[in-house]
Parts: sequence; structure tokens; C-alpha cells
Amino acid sequence: MEKIIFYILSAVILSLSLMSVLSRKLLRSAVYLFGVLTAIAGFYFLIGYHFLGAVQLTVYAGGIVVLIIFSILLTHDIDHQMPTPDWSRVAVAGALCVAGAVMFVQLLQGSLFSRVEAPEQSDLNTVGNTLLNPGGGGYLLPFEVVSILLLAVMIGAIVIAKQRHSVDDSSPEKQAP
Amino acid sequence: MIPGVSLIEILTVSTLMFFIGVYGFLTRKNLITILMSLELMLNGAAINFVAFNKYLYPGQPNGQLFALFLIAVAACEVALAIAIVINLYRKIKAVDVEQVNTLKH
Amino acid sequence: MNWDDLLLMRHELQLLAVILIVTCAEIYLSGRDKSRIIPLSLALFGIHMAAGWLWPVEGELFGGMYRTNGLIHLMKSILDVGVFIVILQAGGWARKQLAPENRVSEFFLLIWSSLLGMYYMVSAGDLLMVFLGLELSTLPVAALAAYEVLKMRSAEAGIKFILTAGLASAVTLMGISLLYGSTGTFVLADLGKQMQGNSLEALGFIFFFAGVAFKISLVPFHFWTPDVYEGAPVSVAAYLSVISKGAAVFILMILLMGFAPLLTDLWVNVLYLLAILTMTIGNLFALRQRNLKRLLAYSAVAQAGFIMLGFMSSQQDGKASIIYFMLVYLFSNLAAFGVVQTIEMHTGKEDIGDYEGLYRTNPRLSLVMLLALFSLAGIPPLAGFFGKFFLFMTVASAGYYLLLTIAVINTVISLYYYLLIVRAMFLRKSDNPLPLVTSDGWMRAGLVICVAGIVALGVASGVYDAIYALCAHL
Repeated sequence: MEKIIFYILSAVILSLSLMSVLSRKLLRSAVYLFGVLTAIAGFYFLIGYHFLGAVQLTVYAGGIVVLIIFSILLTHDIDHQMPTPDWSRVAVAGALCVAGAVMFVQLLQGSLFSRVEAPEQSDLNTVGNTLLNPGGGGYLLPFEVVSILLLAVMIGAIVIAKQRHSVDDSSPEKQAP
Repeated sequence: MIPGVSLIEILTVSTLMFFIGVYGFLTRKNLITILMSLELMLNGAAINFVAFNKYLYPGQPNGQLFALFLIAVAACEVALAIAIVINLYRKIKAVDVEQVNTLKH
Repeated sequence: MNWDDLLLMRHELQLLAVILIVTCAEIYLSGRDKSRIIPLSLALFGIHMAAGWLWPVEGELFGGMYRTNGLIHLMKSILDVGVFIVILQAGGWARKQLAPENRVSEFFLLIWSSLLGMYYMVSAGDLLMVFLGLELSTLPVAALAAYEVLKMRSAEAGIKFILTAGLASAVTLMGISLLYGSTGTFVLADLGKQMQGNSLEALGFIFFFAGVAFKISLVPFHFWTPDVYEGAPVSVAAYLSVISKGAAVFILMILLMGFAPLLTDLWVNVLYLLAILTMTIGNLFALRQRNLKRLLAYSAVAQAGFIMLGFMSSQQDGKASIIYFMLVYLFSNLAAFGVVQTIEMHTGKEDIGDYEGLYRTNPRLSLVMLLALFSLAGIPPLAGFFGKFFLFMTVASAGYYLLLTIAVINTVISLYYYLLIVRAMFLRKSDNPLPLVTSDGWMRAGLVICVAGIVALGVASGVYDAIYALCAHL
């Protein structure tokens, strides 16, 4: 049963990510991305990492994709059609990626992965305790550093995106094509 | 572990996803779609962390936590990139790479 | 946790305190009092920098997540000096350009949070901390590159920087995940022991390396450099070319020479190739530039190639020559950027042609530029000569004579385009040279520190010996 679910999920992930990269409609592309991210959350639930799955759903699918869709709606018409990329570029990039992927998968198949047997520690209690443990094996310091990162990026984003009244920006609405 | 699914199958999916993202990054011309391709790449890496953690090193939730931090960092990156894109849009009313390529020698 | 532990993290805590004080000042100072934020920030950071040099300590915190020792302490202090000069030079620009728009304190906050990320990065005992430090040091700089919100090219620099940074971090993460899959740990000390040297680990490390190489702007990852340097505000370009690059060089040094001795053979070959490519391509492209900011960008790429020479030996001399070169490069490059910034701020000109006859109207600025360029080119008796000399000695004692020859040829090429600027300033006569530019007091102070550094490091031989002694244990 799990096996079938996994195959369905991987099919969804791969096909939707391909469509998201190839689609010429911007908004559709974003919706495909939403599908990919949700399917990945499903994969995390399937593997038993419920907390991570929930975070993926709320932050990625709920937050980032909404942010992206907002920005698309702010900057484009809904049925904006992107031009097709030129053939030479597609050919070079495609060849590069196919070669890279084949090499990568072959390398992974050739490596011997040895499992370190240990009782599984992935329930929410362990995750929470590890995250906030200041001692050995704990992740308290990275947790604090990420909070600084969030603060810094928030300051940066606000400073850049906030509308300002200036001589240079003479009523942008009127200039719109 | 997922019964009946081997590690290498999961890794194949994540690798393919990563390279689909790379392809998008190289061919796309719209800044927002480039950003979306980046998200695909980041997610490919996140799946790797989770799969290795679950299949090979279940003793500690290290990989899972790394994936958690990765999601936080990705959120920061997207927020800042979109702020810059919107600022750029106010200047030139376009978010395509061609229009955003004035810096040439 | 006790007081001694706090002392270990002194650099970070001090900087956090500075950040908090300036944030509060921004909130509570109103209207016209806000002009006091610039001197306040400079004074606070000056105190932080001075206090940072005192008592180097050694130890670990948070179960090995954070580690520090004399050498790491020195690296942080060098970065401090660089950032201090950058914000000194930015003082006048901030008052003229940013104060009317009320965005002064955010500029300092972003620079400092980026510096904080670098502190955590060089002190990291764990790959997660390396990664987070890398991101914390990169993302605020993207905001800074796009800081001149009214200028199109600044926004362009910002978007180019953040997209390439995103690509680099995605590739880095893929690399870290492969390393994790192969070793099962993120702890750097264990990573070195667990590695078996198989191809998966090599691939993982190469991917990881891409993220760091992006920040050093080594050749396959350098394509963002000229565009971002040209578009971003000059002080941000200076920050990118010295501080950002310095921190990345330091972490690469710690990782390659301190933790993963298994990879040495492979890495010497990879870096050998990258050093040649970076030096040559950086120099050849620099020859074609007419815009001074782009020229300095390509010169920064070429200098990154010279830094890679120090990685040819993982002994004490390799480490010492890299750190010494970074220190010298810091003063020389910041002096050059300072002059470019002064001229650009007052006249808006930044082409070599505009600098013709500069010596007649601005003799002092031209002399500073002359010293900076000669030091960058490596002409004795300035500090730059000794920086390059120690790097070449490292290469020679490791026995890579072909590399040494190529490096010497590249030095000659670089001398050519540095002399082009000097010729424009001193020998060319222009019908309408740039008017006399009076730089503000802060910029002057910054330039004086740079010139003092260039001259003093060339004369004082004790500095290299002190660094050499500290490099005994990494």
C-alpha cells in the first residue's frame, strides 16, 4: 500500500515540477509548484516525519507559494503568456541537466550505503528536545541564528519594498503600458 | 522506512527534481519563474536529507532538523527576492531578464 | 553556562549589543536627532572593534556547535577592521543619500547582521552552522546591493546577486546532503574522521565548495561579480570585494586545512586549476574595462586567484600567507574603492577617461589611489609586495614551479592595467579635468587608515611572524 502511495507521489512530484518549469503561463506554473510542494509534504507524512510535513505545508505550500502568487498578480496580467525560450539555450541546458542527472544517479547507485542500526528517534518530543538543547547534539545555537537571519531579512525586505515619495518616481501608474 | 521502497528510488526522485530545477534556472527568463526553479532545487536537497536520515541514520533527527532549517532559509530568500523584484517592477514595469540586463561593458 | 562561556562568544555578543543599541536609537530618536545615528554607529562599532582585539580565548560552546581559538579570533578581528573602514567611508554617503530618505540605521544594521553571520561561519563546528552563517552573511548583502532604491542598476545588482546566491546555496545544500548521506554527521570534527574518500564524498564536497567559491568569486562562479559591483552602491561593492570574500576564504581554509585532511590531494589539484583559471581570466577581462568599478571587480577576481595560491600548502606557511595577504588586500582594495567612491559621489564619473589629469586638481586623492594600485599590483616596498611574495614562497616551497611562473606572468599583466589608471591620473593632460573634490572627514579618516595600513604593513615585518605563530594550531 505504502509502496503504491510512494509511486503516485513521486509521479506527481516529477510531472508537476516538469510542468512548472515548462509551462508558459506564469500563474499555472505557480499552481504546479504548489502541487509539487504539497506532494512533498505528503511524502514526509508517509515517511513518518509528521512535524516536518506540517511545517512544509504551512511554510512552503501556505506561505511561500502564496507570496509568489501575490507577486505574480502584482506584476503581471493573469493570462500573461511567456515567450518560448530559444532553442539553442534549451538544447544546451537540457543536455547539461540530463547528463548531470544521469551521472548523479549512477554515482548514487554505485555507492554502498550502510545503515547505522539504532532505535528510531523521530517523534515530536525528540525533535523538540534536540532543537532546543544547548548541550552536545543540540540545535539551540542554529535556532537563534535563524531568528537573527529572519530579522535581518525582514528589515532588508521592508527597506527595499516600501513605497517612497521621490522625485524620480513620477506617478508610475500613468506610465504603465 | 517505507515498506517496499528502497533508498535509491527516493534519491532518484530527489535528484531528478533538483536537475529539473537547474533546467528551469537556466532556461527561464522571467525572474519569478527563476525563483520557482530555485525552490524546486532546494526541495530536492531537502528530500535527500530526510531520506538519508530515515534510511541510514535513524538514531538522531539530524537530517530532519536540517530540512527544517532549510525551509526557514528558503522562506527568507524568497521574501527578500520578491521585495527586490517588486522594487524593480516599480522602476521598469517588467520582470524579464532581457529588460533587466543593462549592465554591460 | 557561566560568565566564562559568555566571554568565549564575546565578538558575537558585543556585535549583537551594538545592533540592539542602534535599533533602539532608531526607534526612540525622532526627526532631526536621527542624524546622530551615523556618529553613534561609528563610535559603537569602533569600541566593538577595539575590544575585539583584546584577550584571545580558546574553547567550545553549545556542545561543539561553536568553537573559537586564537586564529579564529584574529580572523574576526581582521573582518572587524575591514567593516570599520567600510562604514567610515560610507559615512558621508549615508548622510548625503540615505539620511533624507530616513534609511541610515537600516544600512548599518544590515551590514552588521551580515558580519555576524561571518562570525558564526568562521566559528562553526558544524555544517549546519556553516550553512546558516553563509546565508546570514549573504542575504543582507543582497538587500544592500539593491539599497539605492531609486536607481535602476542598483535593483538589477540586487536581483542578480540574490538569484546567483540562491543557486549557490541550493547547490551547497545538495553537497551537504551527500556528505551527510555518506558520513551520517554534520559535526566537522567527526566528518573528517568518518570520511572514506569515496566518489560520493568528493562530489558532495565539490558541490559544497561551489557555495563558498561563489562568495570568493572564483572563475566558474564569478559571472555575477562585475555586474553587481557596478550596480551596487560603492561601499557595498567594497564590502563584497573584501569582507565577504575574506570570510569565505577563511572558512574554506578552516575546512580544507583544519578538518578534512583526507581530501588534500584532490583539493590541491582542483585549486591548482582554479587558481590558474581565476588569475588569468580575471586579468584578461580587466584589461578590456573602461569603467573603474568593473575594472576593480575583475581585479578582485584576479586577486582571488592569487589567494588560492596559498592553498597549495596546508602547512603553517600556507595559512599564514593567506591571512597576511587578506590583511594587505583589505587595506589596498578599500583605499582604491574609497577614492572611486569619493569621486563618484561628488561628480558621478567613474570611467578611466574621466580620471585624466586628476593629479592636477586632486593631488592627494591621486596619491592615495597610486599607493593603493601599486600595493594591489605588488610593487615594493608597499605591503602588497610582501603579500604576494609570501604567497609565491608558499607555492615555490611546495614545488609547483609552473604555477609560480603563471602567477608571475599574471602579476605583470595586472601591472599593465593598474598602470593605465596611474597614467591617466598623472601623465595625461585633459582639457576639462574633474573639479577639486573635497571628501568629508569620515572618508578622509578611512583613507588615512588604509594608507597607514599599506605603508606600515610593508615596513613592519613583525606582523607576518605574529600571524605565522598563531597559525600553528588551527
